[in-house]
Amino acid sequence: MNRIAQGLTLVLLGAAALTSTIPTDLYLNWVKAGFGPFLIAAGVAMVLLGVLVIASELRGEDEAEEEHGHGADAEVVAAGNTVSAQESASAVERDYEEAYGRGRGTQGHDHSRAPGVAWLLLLPVLAVFVVAPPALGSYTVEATSGSSGPPPEDRRAGAFDDGVEEAAPGEVVSMDIRQFVMRAWIDEDRLLVGQEVELTGFAVPEKDGDGWYLARLQMACCAADAVVNKVYISNEPAPEADTWWTVRGTWVEPEGELSEVSQHELTALEVQEVTNPPDPYE
Amino acid sequence: MPDRTTPATDPGPPPSSSLGDSLAGGWADRGEELPPEDWGRARGRRRTGTVWLFALFITAMALGHAWISDELTSQAFLAWATIFTAISFQALPFLVFGVALSAALTAFVPPSAYQRFIPSKPSHAVPVAGASGALLPGCECASVPIAGSLIKGGVAPAAALTFLLAAPSINPVVMIATAVAFAGQPEMILARFVASLLAAVVIGWIWVRFGRADWLRLPTHNHAPGASRWQVFRESMLHDMMHAGGYLVVGGLAAATLNIMVPREWLLAVAGMPVVSVLVLALLAILLSICSEADAFVAVSLTDFSPTAKLAFMVIGPIVDLKLLAMQAGVFGWRFVARFAPLCLLVGLLSTFLIGGLIL
Repeated sequence: MNRIAQGLTLVLLGAAALTSTIPTDLYLNWVKAGFGPFLIAAGVAMVLLGVLVIASELRGEDEAEEEHGHGADAEVVAAGNTVSAQESASAVERDYEEAYGRGRGTQGHDHSRAPGVAWLLLLPVLAVFVVAPPALGSYTVEATSGSSGPPPEDRRAGAFDDGVEEAAPGEVVSMDIRQFVMRAWIDEDRLLVGQEVELTGFAVPEKDGDGWYLARLQMACCAADAVVNKVYISNEPAPEADTWWTVRGTWVEPEGELSEVSQHELTALEVQEVTNPPDPYE
Repeated sequence: MPDRTTPATDPGPPPSSSLGDSLAGGWADRGEELPPEDWGRARGRRRTGTVWLFALFITAMALGHAWISDELTSQAFLAWATIFTAISFQALPFLVFGVALSAALTAFVPPSAYQRFIPSKPSHAVPVAGASGALLPGCECASVPIAGSLIKGGVAPAAALTFLLAAPSINPVVMIATAVAFAGQPEMILARFVASLLAAVVIGWIWVRFGRADWLRLPTHNHAPGASRWQVFRESMLHDMMHAGGYLVVGGLAAATLNIMVPREWLLAVAGMPVVSVLVLALLAILLSICSEADAFVAVSLTDFSPTAKLAFMVIGPIVDLKLLAMQAGVFGWRFVARFAPLCLLVGLLSTFLIGGLIL
């Protein structure tokens, strides 16, 4: 991989990072919103570095051609008076380019050429511009169906942030699915009994059955660490997979120990399609 | 001059041949290795070719965006692409930060500065390096190039390697993330800190005793005296970015594939077995290659596993994982990885069992 290719790769990679953050919100499909400014900074840095590398390479070419124009002079100088040639500023810079930029190191390891593996840096570029991967959805929920269990934030009672305790009698509490399943699994006081809640997520029809799940992925950092939170709904017909819905309903209180429950269920009172889904993760 | 009217398409009879000869004279005078005679000749043409290649690539991407994007509907492929892109883009800011910091260390910090802060005796330098790992906020993508430039700056390799292991494991951001994930379980935070630091320092000491310099392949940058510091900075950043970045993508590909392919049900089947469950989560940490700042959230979600197994996930992940192995290979060479990774895994596991047994 020569220096022009390295520079262009960096520019493209930086452009991919900038494209997915500034004109579009694509990056929200992959990483937390908090990464936005860092991605912009990294994108700017890569474009800048790439442009500088390309510029230095082209400047090197220009100098070489100018030298060629005065080729005879240069050769005379080089042959006749190497010392003074080396002392002149341009020659020093050229030496630098040869020794470091394009020359060979002491181990025969060429510093100007990057290893072939660096071409792979174009894969994220391809991914952004051609595939533009969507947020994880029903496929991931189905693929991880076995891992349904208590929610990741194993907080002790008293640390809930869902507003159920503050709710006035009869008030509908709007909360994340994460907050709902955490409350359902951990709250031994079972405050959710009879409490109307409003949850928003995407639909995942049950594979063999009439019910469906209202699901949302919880992300700590990026999609690779996404964790599935879902609520089972059986008293409404299953909508199409990956459509977004807001469901108002009440918790179906399970029998027996809360920690033994394999999944939580919601009795839906009202379902409403969400036309403009929010940040896909919560 | 006819050969200068179309320089971009055809440089004509190689213009740099006379320049190459004159430079060759200069090189020979200084007793340096000669550049091979033909390296400069086809360069102009090759550069033009490169530009055409990228123009073609961008055109192909535009066409692909218009025609192929809508055809890509395979759910499994899209989920894979999402996870691959997520790993790449999440690591990118850290990689750029690490590479820039490492280039700044190379260009602007004279080796004498390290000698003032880090003890010259390697066995003393190792704990100092381990403790200073607690200062650098970043994940493993940042620490690999930084460790490389520390070694180039004259820091004992064992100390730089200890820093490489400690920085992503116990830095403030990681500890805060762990505290948030394991709210109400301060013993887990303490166990993670102690086990990771212990493993990093012990590995450093083992490297002091048994490590050999020729296992590490470090490119020796011979900076010409005329190079300005900014040129050194630029070149060093480009070099690290290309090496570490390429391998980061390799690691991202592998991790995304395993993330999609390994069904979580397999994990639940072994969660109850005491020692096996620890080994399984250690293996999972290696395969998933989750950034150390996020691994606590994943660890806490593996609710069926014992605390020691979760600790193993958080201790092993930042010091051995696929993405990290590939990046270390890019910077230090496979000879190094073949020895260093098993050592890290072994010491990390021993440290996990010891600290897990004492604290958890």
